[in-house]
Amino acid sequence: MDIKKVRNEKFADFLAILGEQKLYAPQKVGESLRFAHVTDSSKVELAMANTTVPPKSIFFPQTETLYRYEMGNTEIQPPAVGEVGIVLGVRPCDARAQVIVDNLFSWDVDDPYYKERRDKATVVGLACNKPCVNCFCLSLGGDPASTEGMDLLMTELDDAYLLQPLTEKGEKLCQAAAAVAEPATAEDLAAAEGLHGQAREMITRKIETGGIPENLPALWENALWQETAASCLGCGICTYLCPTCHCFDIQDEVEGLEGRRCRMWDSCMFKEYTLHASGHNPRPTRRERTRNRINHKYSYFVDKFNVIACVGCGRCINHCPVNIDILEILAQVKEAL
Amino acid sequence: MVDVEKLKEIARETVSRDDVKYLIGWRQGTYGFRTAPHFVGTPEEADNLIFSPLCSHNLATYLTLVEKLPVPRGQDPDSRKVALLVKGCDSRAVVQQLIEQGIGRDSVFVIGCPCRGVVDLKKVEAKFPGMREKVSATWGNGTIIFNLPNGNVEVPRQEVLAGKCLTCRYPNPLLSDLNFGEEVAVWGSDDYADVKNLEAGSPQERWSFWEEKFASCMRCYSCRNVCPMCYCEDCVLDRLNPQWVMRSVNTAENTAFHLARAFHLAGRCIECGECERVCPVDIPIMKLNRKLSKEVREKYAFEPGLDPESKPLQASYRPDDKEDFIL
Repeated sequence: MDIKKVRNEKFADFLAILGEQKLYAPQKVGESLRFAHVTDSSKVELAMANTTVPPKSIFFPQTETLYRYEMGNTEIQPPAVGEVGIVLGVRPCDARAQVIVDNLFSWDVDDPYYKERRDKATVVGLACNKPCVNCFCLSLGGDPASTEGMDLLMTELDDAYLLQPLTEKGEKLCQAAAAVAEPATAEDLAAAEGLHGQAREMITRKIETGGIPENLPALWENALWQETAASCLGCGICTYLCPTCHCFDIQDEVEGLEGRRCRMWDSCMFKEYTLHASGHNPRPTRRERTRNRINHKYSYFVDKFNVIACVGCGRCINHCPVNIDILEILAQVKEAL
Repeated sequence: MVDVEKLKEIARETVSRDDVKYLIGWRQGTYGFRTAPHFVGTPEEADNLIFSPLCSHNLATYLTLVEKLPVPRGQDPDSRKVALLVKGCDSRAVVQQLIEQGIGRDSVFVIGCPCRGVVDLKKVEAKFPGMREKVSATWGNGTIIFNLPNGNVEVPRQEVLAGKCLTCRYPNPLLSDLNFGEEVAVWGSDDYADVKNLEAGSPQERWSFWEEKFASCMRCYSCRNVCPMCYCEDCVLDRLNPQWVMRSVNTAENTAFHLARAFHLAGRCIECGECERVCPVDIPIMKLNRKLSKEVREKYAFEPGLDPESKPLQASYRPDDKEDFIL
């Protein structure tokens, strides 16, 4: 597949071509950056490091109606999933995270809602030229220019965006953009290589994950969980902003004679998570909840799907109000092993 | 100058007392300008304590956030005190918790730290982006001095202090069992200019301002959880039956959440600004809280968290209340 480039002055035209399909891209929503449907391409923000909310929200919306029902009608009405065209500007960690989450949604049954969105979408990735201070993707098998989970990888050069198609969908997109694109030169490819290499050098935070998944459960009663949980507020930031966290709750929301069954994000850091109808909760305090968060990512998920459910995007570190730092926890884990 | 060695000395003595369980203060964070709450259980752990313009956390929230586990049969509950470092605004949270009997006076040992203002991390990280190395800071003369890896940088405090600190009227703790450091002169005054600005808009303008903010809320509940005054054991927002606020995240339910939260804090919010600091999507939550604070001050000449002997606003009755709002 041929590598192309779109010059900066033609990028707006490129966005217009992408916008012929339903296009999602990073934009300011309220005061924060997240993926949203593009209605005005001048609002697309690709320069920022990464979005606050990961693009998982497109494939696995925070709230989604599974079906509607009404009194006196035994038919249930599943809503149409709707169009998902192109997801533009997905960072390599987030694209990889979605591949990890795919495991969960296609494990015993294919989740029809999730799968339909994944199948429909064309993921246009964007290599990280300037990783953030808390990025540690290299430690988890990622890379600032990783192509896993993408149909096309873009790299921002000085005067153009390099387009590297990776799948048939990506190739199709490149062809659709033929009018604004031109073949990339050997210098362009070398420049991109150089940027990717520089980005790798800029990632300073790391963790050696070897030995963690198999030994983590042995630290069940270790004091480190209590020490970490002491300052934890029990809010949902680390899990909601995590690109691989995928826990959900299902609730019925009924108004009058109509109702809808909804699926919504849940967080293992919440008090009512796994609260039994009896009033018993197997994870009664933040100690057990913190332990669960780390064990789920670094042990249970690995047991089941053979991959760590963390991609090193650094969001949980960046946004934790009390500086609970997963790398610090993992360092303590390594020490205790 | 903050004599941090003196602070550590005080902390060592405090945690060595028989009637103190542990002390909560601040420590350097894991990167950049971040700091973190620090739980000091032994005299050795006091070595990591700091007190600087980076210590924004209001630690009073941990007095009520602590989880009460069932006491094993045959054991007595641990009734020792929690020692707490408080800035001026933080002390008002402790006072308000005492007023409401959320905590008992003998459950807490308060160490007052007069404060010359803490930074707004967003302003600091925008000024010095991409800081990986750990940075400390001190108060200068009308400035904040950052000890960056390649030397000290002094910044006028207006540029980096949190908004709440620029208008702060209570920099000195209003309640303490022990004081650390010199009392500081009050610099701020508060005319609620930010609230008045917003009030000047038409209802449509105000709603479109808030609609966009509420729509962006993810309901992570960090604003509620960090709040030292949000300590109901059974929060209305977590209730499933009846479910007052649906779990669906949409503008309507998010609005219900934000209004419920704000109204439950009317006459109780001590304006430490923690809710706004922790919001991952930068909703200006303090504008809502301060609208209610302004109403409470204007209508009842009342401010919460000042006098532990006073009554909560909603539990006080005065025959000379104006009542001009009753139709």
